[in-house]
Amino acid sequence: MNKQNRRDFLKSVTTVGITAAGLSAAAPTKLNAAPENVLSEDRMGVLVDTTVCIGCRKCEWACKESHGMHAGDIEDYDEKGIFNSRRRPDHTGHTVVNEYENDKNRSLPIYLKVQCMHCDRPACVSACIVGAFSKKESGAVIWDDSKCIGCRYCMVACPFQIPAFDYHKALEPDIHKCDFCFDRTKNGKLPACVEICPVETLTYGKRSDLIQVARNKIKNYPDRYLDHIFGETEVGGTSWLYLASKEFEKLDFPKLGKNPAPGVSESIQHGIFAYFIPPIALYALLGGIMWISKNRDKSEGEAH
Amino acid sequence: MELAMKPEQMKKKFFTPWVIALTLIAINGLIFLAIRFFWGIGAVTNLSNEHPWGIWIGIDVAAGVALAAGGFTTAALGHIMHRDKYEAVIRPALLTAMLGYTFVAVSVAVDLGRYYSIWHPLIYWNGNSALFEVGMCVMIYVTVLYIEFLPIVTERFIGRVNLPGVLSRLNGTIDKILRALDRGLNKTMFIFIIAGVVLSCLHQSSLGTLMIIAGPKMHPLWQTPVLPLLFLLSAFSVGFPMVIMESITASKSFGLKPETHILSKLGSMVGPLLGIYLAFKLGDMFIRETFVYLTELTTESVMFSIEILLGVVIPLRMFLSNEVRKSPTGLYIASVLVIFGVLLNRINNFLVAYTPPYETASYFPSIGEISVTLGFVCMEILLYRFFVKHFPIISIPDKAGINKAKYSIKGA
Amino acid sequence: MKRLLIISIFVLTASALWSQSDHSKIKLDCSFCHSCEKPTKINPCLKACPREEMITVYHTPSQGPEYLIINQFEKFEDLYEPVNFSHRAHSEMAEMSGGCELCHHYNPPGSIAKCVDCHDVNRLRADLSKPDLKGAYHRQCIDCHRTWNNNVACADCHELKSSGKTAAKIKPLSASRIHPEIIEPAKIVYETETSEGKFVTFYHNEHTQLFGLECSNCHKNESCASCHKVDDMKSIKLTVEEKHQACINCHKVENNCSYCHSNKTLEPFDHGTRTGFQLKSYHQKLSCVNCHAKPKAFSGLNSKCASCHGSWSVDNFNHKATGLILDEIHAEFDCDVCHSLDNYSKPGCDACHEDMTYPKFKPGRILRN
Repeated sequence: MNKQNRRDFLKSVTTVGITAAGLSAAAPTKLNAAPENVLSEDRMGVLVDTTVCIGCRKCEWACKESHGMHAGDIEDYDEKGIFNSRRRPDHTGHTVVNEYENDKNRSLPIYLKVQCMHCDRPACVSACIVGAFSKKESGAVIWDDSKCIGCRYCMVACPFQIPAFDYHKALEPDIHKCDFCFDRTKNGKLPACVEICPVETLTYGKRSDLIQVARNKIKNYPDRYLDHIFGETEVGGTSWLYLASKEFEKLDFPKLGKNPAPGVSESIQHGIFAYFIPPIALYALLGGIMWISKNRDKSEGEAH
Repeated sequence: MELAMKPEQMKKKFFTPWVIALTLIAINGLIFLAIRFFWGIGAVTNLSNEHPWGIWIGIDVAAGVALAAGGFTTAALGHIMHRDKYEAVIRPALLTAMLGYTFVAVSVAVDLGRYYSIWHPLIYWNGNSALFEVGMCVMIYVTVLYIEFLPIVTERFIGRVNLPGVLSRLNGTIDKILRALDRGLNKTMFIFIIAGVVLSCLHQSSLGTLMIIAGPKMHPLWQTPVLPLLFLLSAFSVGFPMVIMESITASKSFGLKPETHILSKLGSMVGPLLGIYLAFKLGDMFIRETFVYLTELTTESVMFSIEILLGVVIPLRMFLSNEVRKSPTGLYIASVLVIFGVLLNRINNFLVAYTPPYETASYFPSIGEISVTLGFVCMEILLYRFFVKHFPIISIPDKAGINKAKYSIKGA
Repeated sequence: MKRLLIISIFVLTASALWSQSDHSKIKLDCSFCHSCEKPTKINPCLKACPREEMITVYHTPSQGPEYLIINQFEKFEDLYEPVNFSHRAHSEMAEMSGGCELCHHYNPPGSIAKCVDCHDVNRLRADLSKPDLKGAYHRQCIDCHRTWNNNVACADCHELKSSGKTAAKIKPLSASRIHPEIIEPAKIVYETETSEGKFVTFYHNEHTQLFGLECSNCHKNESCASCHKVDDMKSIKLTVEEKHQACINCHKVENNCSYCHSNKTLEPFDHGTRTGFQLKSYHQKLSCVNCHAKPKAFSGLNSKCASCHGSWSVDNFNHKATGLILDEIHAEFDCDVCHSLDNYSKPGCDACHEDMTYPKFKPGRILRN
C-alpha cells in the first residue's frame, strides 16, 4: 500500500500544477478569441416608428422571400383576420406584425413588427455552448449553422424570446431568427423588410444617427410619441429601436433593465475561472488535505 | 473491532418480478426514443419555442447530475479526508455516479436537436457560456469516473481473462495490459480523484449559473446571483442521502443486512450540510425580500414551500435526531426526502420558475417525455444490478478478515 | 482635384447666394424654422416639417394638374405599377379640410416644391430626418385613406405588376367641382348627458357670419370622415375634455356651466340680453370686430360712449353722419355742451335754453333719405 513515497507525490502534484497553469495561461486568449464578436461604433440599426406602421405585413412577405422560406401569395397578406391572434416569430417566419388597440383612436389600431432586437450585448452569444452566435460589425447577431448542436440554450437565455427551433425535424433542425439580412447588407443592400416597407416605418441607418432621429421626433411631436426609445438602453442597448405612442408594456414589450442580459452570468463565470486560479487553488487545497490526512494516518499507524 | 468489509460480486439471479417490470418500462422508453430520433423532438415532447427545455434537461440532466453527487462527496470523504471506514460505500457510490453521468450524457444527446454534433464543444469554445463549462466538465468528469472505475475492472479480470475461441490466444496479452494498467493507475489515481472532486464542484455550481442568464424569465423565488452556490451546497447535502438510500435499497434487494453503523455516521454529516444549504437559501430569500411572493397562492409559491419544508426542513430535523439516524427506516425516509427536495429544486429551477414573457400555454411533460425519463431511470437501475452482479462493488463482511479492499488509495 | 475644388466652391457660393435671396422674402421670425439661436450653413438646426405658415403660394384646385402619374420608382424593382393620382379631386377635398398644405406641408417662396425636392428617392441615404420619397407618398395617402377604412388594400391605388393590370385611367371631371357645396347648419342643439343643463345650443351661423370666424378656426385637421359618418368613425369617442375644448378655446367661461348649458334650447345671440348693452341704429350694422378689436377678446368694453369714442371732438366729427346737420351756431360748440359723455343719444338743451328740449326743438336740419 505504501508504495509511493512523499517525494513522488510532491513531484506529481507539481507536474499537475504546472500543466494546469500552462493551460490557464493559454486558455483565456483562446476563449476570448473563439466567437468573433465586434461592437462597432458604426454599427447599423433600424428605428421602428410604430405610429407609422399600417400593418400591411409586406415585411413578413419580403423576409420570407429573401430567406428562401415559403412566402405564398403577396395578396394573401392583405387579410386582416390574422390579427385576431398574437403571433410570434417561428420557423415559418422570422418576423411578424401584431395588432394592438389604439386608445386614442379605435379605428386605427397600432401595428407592431416583432423580430430579433439584435442586442449589443446579446444573451444568445454569451450563452451558446459552441459560440454559434456572433455579433457582427454591422450590428447583426447571426447564427452559424455549422456550429450549432441544437441545445436551445439560446432560447432559454434570450430576454425577448426570439430564437425558434425546428421541433419537427429529425435531422439538421435549425435555430430560426432574424439575421438582420446579413448577406444583403454585406452587399450594400437594405434589409428586405426595410426595403419593402411602403411607409418607411423602418428606418435603416447608423444606430447613433437613429437615436438622434428618434430624439428629434420625440422633441418635435411630444403628443405623438412617448418619451422613451425602447432599445436605447434596454439590456445594454439593441440595434433595433422602437418608438411608440402607447406604453411599451401594453405593446407586450418585456420590462427590462439597463444591464446586459448576460452580465451576471458572465461575471460569475469569469469569477470562477479567473485565469483558472480558483479551480487550481481548489485542486491544490484538496491535494494538501489529502497529503496531510494520509500522513496523519501513517503516523497514527506508527504510534499503534 | 468491526469485521473488515470486502467488495464481492452479488450472487443472486438477475431477473425478479421487479426487474421484469423495470425492463418493460425501459423498453417503453426506448420506443418513444425511437420516435424522437425518426420524427424529431416535437413528435414526442411538449416542448415549444416558449419552453425550450423540459424534463429531459430539468430531471434527466440537472437532477441527474445533482443526484450523482454521491460519487464525489464519498470520494472526498473516503480518499481525500482519508476516512477509511467509509470505503465500503465508495464503490457503490462510484458506480452510481458513473452510471448517472453516463445517462446524463445520453439524455443531453437525446435532447440535443443535432445529437450527432455533440462533440462540437471540443473544438468550438465559448468561455462565456455556463453551458460550455458544464459540458466540458461533465465530459472530462465522465472520463475521470471511468478511469476511477478501471481498478475494479482490473481487479475482476487480472488472472481471470478467459476469452472464447480464437480470441483465447489474446488472453495473455490482455492480462499483461491489465496488469500494466493496474500498476500505472496505482501511482496516478490520486490525480484523478482530486480532479473528480474539483470538476464536480465546478459543474455542480455552474449548473446553477445556467439559469441566471434567463434573468427576468425566471421567477424571483429562484432567480438569484447565488444560484451556483445554492446548487453546489444542495449537491453536497444530497450526496450522502443518495448513498444511504442506494445502500439500503441494494441491501434489501440482495438480502443483506444494511450497514447501519456506516450509514448513520454518513447521516450525521447530512444535518450540518443541509443546515448550511438552508441557511443560504433562506438568507438569500430575506436579503432579496422574495418572501413577499410566498403570500400569494401560486404554483410557484406552493412548489417553493414544498421544496423547502418537505425537502429541507423536515429531513434536516430528522437527520439531527439520534434515533432516526440509528434506524434504517428513519435514515431511508430522511434520505428519500432530501433526494426528493433536490429533485424538486432542480425541477423548480429549470421548469416551474421558467416563465417566458410570451407564454400562451404552460409546460407539462408529455407521455413521451415521461416515458423516456422513466425508461432511463429503469435502465440505470438495471445496469447497476448488472454491474454489482458481475463486478466486486458491494462490500460484505469479510469472513476471512484479511484483505482490505483492493480499490483504495494506492501507495498510501 | 483642383477642378473639383473650384466647382465645389462655385456651387457653395451659388447656393449661399440663392438661400440669401430666398431668406429676404421670408417675413417670419428666425425661430420659426431654426431651433437654435445662430443657425449656420453646416448646422442650420432646422425644425421638422410641417411648416405651413411659410407657404406663400396659393392656387385653386382647378389651377393644379388634373392628375399625376407617380412613377419615380420605376428604376427600382417594384411590386406595384405606378399610381395614377387624381390631383384635382384630392385638392378639392383638401380645400374642405386642411387646404393644399395638408399635403404640401413645406414650400419656400417661389414655385411649388416637388416632394422629391426634399424627400430622397433612395431609402439608403445619409439624411434620415425625413422619410424617403416612397415613405412620404405612402404616409400622405394612407394616413387619410385609413381614416375612411382601415382595410384599405394596396391594390386600391395601384395594381400588382404580376397581375398584368395597370391602374385605371382617371376620367376627366365632368363638373367643375366634385364635391357639392357645403351647406352649413344654422343651429345645432347638442343633447348632453348631464341632468342639469341638458342642452347646449350652438348657432353655427352666428359664429361664421356674425363673429367672423373662418371654417378652419374650429375645423382643424378634419378628414372627410368627420362629416361623412363612416361606421368606423363612430367608434371614436371624444372625451368630455375634447368636447369642451372646441368652445373653451374662445369662450373663457371658467366654471360657469350655465353659459352654454341650459334646460331648454337658447335663443340666438342678442347683445342686449347677453351684455345689457342694446345695439341700436349704428351699432347694429357693425361687425363684432369693429368694436371688439382685440381678436377673441370680447369683454373689456363698457357702455360709456367715451370708452370707445373718446377721441371725438367738434373738429374731427362730422355731425352729418348722425342724420342731423348742425346749424352754424351749434356747430361751433364742444360735444359736451349738448351731450353728456355717457350717452350721446339724448342731447340736452338746458346749458343755454331754459325752456327747450330735444327733439321738440332741433339744433339744425334733419336729413331725409
